[in-house]
Amino acid sequence: MKPFALALATSVIALMSANGSALAQTAGGVIDVATIGEPPTLDPMASTADLVGIITQHIYETLYTFAEDWTATPLLAADMPQISEDGLTYTIPLRTGVTFHDGSEMTSADVVASLERWMRIASRGKQADAVIETVAATDDATVTITLNTPYAPLLSLLSLNNAAAIIIPEENAAQDPLEAYVGTGPYKLEARVPDQYIQLVRFDEYASRDGEPNGFGGARLQYLDEIRFVPVPDPNTRVEGAVAGQFAYVDQLPVEAFDRVSSGATEPVVLAPFGWPVFVMNTQEGLNSDIRVRKAIQAALAPEDMLLAAFGSENFFAVDGAWYPEGYVWHTETATEPYKPAGDTEAAKALLAEAGYSGQPLRILTSRQYEYHYKMAQVAQAYLEAAGFTVQMDVVEWATLTQNRANPALWDIYITHSPFLPEPSLMGIMSDTSPGWWATDAKHAAVNAFNAESDPTKRVALFEAVQQVIYDEVPAYKVGNFNALAAQSPKLEGVTVSPWPYFWNAYLTE
Amino acid sequence: MLRAALNRLLGMAIVMALVVTIVFIIVRVTPGDPAAVMLGPDATAADIASLRQRLGLDASIPEQFVTYLGGLLRGDLGTSIFLNIPVAQALWLRAEPTFFLTIFSLLIATAIALPVGVLSAYWRGTLFDQAATTLAMLAASIPSFWLGLIFMQVFAVQLGWFNTSGFGGPGASFAERMHHLVLPAFTLGLISSALITRFTRAAMLDVLNDDYVRTARSKGMGEWRVVVRHAFKNALIPILTVVGLTAALLISGAIVTETVFGLPGVGSLIVSAVLRRDYPVIQGALLVVAGLYVLVNFIIDMLYLLVDPRVRY
Repeated sequence: MKPFALALATSVIALMSANGSALAQTAGGVIDVATIGEPPTLDPMASTADLVGIITQHIYETLYTFAEDWTATPLLAADMPQISEDGLTYTIPLRTGVTFHDGSEMTSADVVASLERWMRIASRGKQADAVIETVAATDDATVTITLNTPYAPLLSLLSLNNAAAIIIPEENAAQDPLEAYVGTGPYKLEARVPDQYIQLVRFDEYASRDGEPNGFGGARLQYLDEIRFVPVPDPNTRVEGAVAGQFAYVDQLPVEAFDRVSSGATEPVVLAPFGWPVFVMNTQEGLNSDIRVRKAIQAALAPEDMLLAAFGSENFFAVDGAWYPEGYVWHTETATEPYKPAGDTEAAKALLAEAGYSGQPLRILTSRQYEYHYKMAQVAQAYLEAAGFTVQMDVVEWATLTQNRANPALWDIYITHSPFLPEPSLMGIMSDTSPGWWATDAKHAAVNAFNAESDPTKRVALFEAVQQVIYDEVPAYKVGNFNALAAQSPKLEGVTVSPWPYFWNAYLTE
Repeated sequence: MLRAALNRLLGMAIVMALVVTIVFIIVRVTPGDPAAVMLGPDATAADIASLRQRLGLDASIPEQFVTYLGGLLRGDLGTSIFLNIPVAQALWLRAEPTFFLTIFSLLIATAIALPVGVLSAYWRGTLFDQAATTLAMLAASIPSFWLGLIFMQVFAVQLGWFNTSGFGGPGASFAERMHHLVLPAFTLGLISSALITRFTRAAMLDVLNDDYVRTARSKGMGEWRVVVRHAFKNALIPILTVVGLTAALLISGAIVTETVFGLPGVGSLIVSAVLRRDYPVIQGALLVVAGLYVLVNFIIDMLYLLVDPRVRY
């Protein structure tokens, strides 16, 4: 079996194990998980960083979470919400007998205080705050959220694990920054030594949901005694740690290390697809405020070569213009005709001439924090220059990029990436205030209709209109899909392959 | 000697004042925003502005400088934006790996460099000298991250004698923690030994032909006694200088080596603070490092007075 096929088989086996088909689960054991660094905070409301979500999802829980098929499923809520016919009132029944790590029992007062904190602090909470009229406790075990306009993404926002609507004790909800790391999750924080380890231990009073595990939802089984997240910021060191078998799980390895990891003590795990690299256009100011220039860029770029340069082997990427890949309910090929795998230089030249382009530099803001961003930028530069653009590469380090992208005077394109988020409304370009500042009538018509519709089937159809307007107005250019590589000890089972790996349900075998 | 010490102390105070000012300015004019890093990739401009206000980063730079100086005068280095603990505490938590890594690296470096340097000078022009000089040149040219990765592959991955990274988990004993330092200490020790070897050799060559060495030999003194008691002792000043500077560099955090081996030391703290723009940690760490550097130089200067009574400041 080829190494890549072996890894995919490993991934499938891991998925099957997570669904309860494994037979030899034994309680006990400690695992070390190598992560890409020290999280900036242990308050998942305060950050949208994936690393924060990966670690803290073991400590805190939300009212809802995502099932295996990425639909929302209850977690601390007892059931799905009752939504009024006008879509403005969500009545959420809460589970009873759920205990916080400090021994107190969760009530609706904790939930209300937590959601109010989320709306005050979390970026996704602030997004929801714009449509939330009130959050109120109907009784000890029921919470009612009243909206000023129908807003279908609410459940997804309440389910996500970053900028997350975690439920914490009411008395801690005033803390900002959070100082007491008390949640209801299956593991509680035992110790944190920055840049050395974050030690989580099993929470013995944990109240798991009944039934079988189902993605992030369903039963959460606590086989492991301890989970230790160990920051290993250097990717080469993570690779060597994986090869040596020092860790039970190693997150985020460079894909080019696949063969080396395959020959070591841990097995490669491929998440295919993981996410999408994207060129975000500055629609507010400068060259790209002209839609014709953005269309010329769309025509000029050759994603096949860009992805090949970035990821080295076709095993690790897919040339795909759809904003969601096959396998996601949101997948549609609508409007993807302008996405040309090899680019269309002649079409780009014509569009550029039509725009009256006179050689102003097209500024691409990127960094080498993620080497594949930089490699894609280099290939893009060649294709854009072939189409007649003058390209200026502004290569800065990541902290500078995150600051500069907020200033529309400083860039025309910036490069980033994202995992495939379960809810399209969470994508950056869907917000008018996200860098790129895409805000047109056509967008608002498509996005508002999508956000207002609560029927899942109708929403799928409405997303086609959203993808159509994205291709029509080019606020961003999705380059394709890429896979992620991790490594897992053969002794560790029950881990579901995920962009946010979690270790409840995981267990060690002899 | 007291006057010399006082003069040096005054100079140290001026240097430290300059360090405080320059580091503060450099950190503030460097692009990058701790609030944006902390809030993550999907944070809005309004979120970032709100966090900046809470962190006091919306005040003017002179205002921030005055607040910072006020804290320093009270002995307060500030609070880490990301770790949410006092900077002094953050540094103290990182002191152990850096301190012992420095000691072990220095021991390894001097244990290799002093005998090799002395013998190389004594047997000048021989095969031993040529081999030692070549190896020293090679060691000085090897990047520490590369040597570290090679050691990691051989001794951690292939032989399994050591961990690839880290400083021990919860409850790790002192011996276990020190075990994690073996590979990084050899990495740094070997590389540092190159410079000390070359200085030792050069210093010994200077003194081996001096009259007092010839006189000692003519008195019938044993050869090794001549070399060690007379020549080596008089060659100590330049050697002491380079050993001291190496120690100061290592204390300041063997940044690359600590990063490669995932050691939670001062060097890796500085790297992560720079990447996150954790201003208080950058300022505090560089201030302490500069202080230690200046202190080591002060100690070396004072040692000169003890080693060589002819030295006057």
